[in-house]
Amino acid sequence: MESRISSDTKARVAKQTRPPQAEKRTLALFYCQNTPESGEAVRQALEKKHASSLRLFPIPCSGRIEPLHLMKALEEFADAAYVIACPEGACRYFEGNTRATKRVALTAQMLAQIGLEKERVGIVANSKETPKTLAALALELLDRTAELRPSPVLARPNQGKGTKEKKDDHSRKKTH
Amino acid sequence: MITAERKPIDEIRAIIAPYKKVLVLGCGSCVAECAAGGEKERGMLASTLRMANKMDGKEVLIQEKTLDRQCVKDFVILLDDIIDQYDAVLSLGCGAGVQAVAEMFSELPVLPALNTEFLGETRDQGYWVENCLGCGDCMLDDFGGVCPLARCSKQLLNGPCGGSREGKCEINPEVPCAWQAIIDRLDRFGALDRLEQIYPPKDWSRKQGGGPRKIMREDQQR
Repeated sequence: MESRISSDTKARVAKQTRPPQAEKRTLALFYCQNTPESGEAVRQALEKKHASSLRLFPIPCSGRIEPLHLMKALEEFADAAYVIACPEGACRYFEGNTRATKRVALTAQMLAQIGLEKERVGIVANSKETPKTLAALALELLDRTAELRPSPVLARPNQGKGTKEKKDDHSRKKTH
Repeated sequence: MITAERKPIDEIRAIIAPYKKVLVLGCGSCVAECAAGGEKERGMLASTLRMANKMDGKEVLIQEKTLDRQCVKDFVILLDDIIDQYDAVLSLGCGAGVQAVAEMFSELPVLPALNTEFLGETRDQGYWVENCLGCGDCMLDDFGGVCPLARCSKQLLNGPCGGSREGKCEINPEVPCAWQAIIDRLDRFGALDRLEQIYPPKDWSRKQGGGPRKIMREDQQR
């Protein structure tokens, strides 16, 4: 199927990405959709460019993030899970970024209690004066993720590609 | 509302250590309201435990479910179809919830993941305060709607003690003086004369004097 990503977008993303040989870890990146240049086309282009190293999750506001989102990402596929929020005082919903910061802190606390590095989760507030694009921020965070050791949660023997531990959630099978 | 807080992860891990198939059971009522044992907290705890086990190379099945109320057997019975799959239940209910589940499934260990705290009011988002002891003989009408037993550090029925400073308790300047609140409120109703009444020591027999309490309502029973 013909790609719907324009050549202009591809070129712009290509400029802002690093060489694929440096990609060793997987980053789950949750980003506020008000981040500059974070449309669907850019998301697709970035994910395609970074292949398995980057999974992008647009959210309407960083305040939508819950610790569970970050935990699930770390549990299932990611070496690190980060949130991109709007600059302080510039959240369209007033306090979404403040709430997200607290929730990320809670998640880091939980991870620390089981011996995982707090640096596996984090939040990055964009700059008010010189806002960065999603691609630029993703690149910075990919570099940060690359510095981490492989996640001990994911480094299990007999873990093949696409293998996923069965985790039935009975509550979701029932309607209350 | 009953308030609770999650136990430290290390303690929870020690509690469930002997078991290989654990159901993490949330409760959708009071402990969900106080963000200790609802659906989100259940998910976080289960995810944390699974990650910890993977890191330690332990093969433990940890699955999840949330009941609307663990303290009501009509809801607990919903576990009947799945409960045989597990060695233990890690309950995020209050103490009443844990015991209700344990009573229904008497051969299965039902383990508490929370420390049940107090009967509380949601004063603000993420802020709960104790203001009822459940004494079984409410005297709030005498004290302008402020309970001196729950909210006065010294539980004085004949206050104030004289140690209050700027409306705060002398034992802890962060604790508002209950008797200051009582006087302020009675003053607003023009009922300060109630302060002249001398109250005898509280009769605690209505709380714990007869052992565990129960309420039987024939009109509510089947």
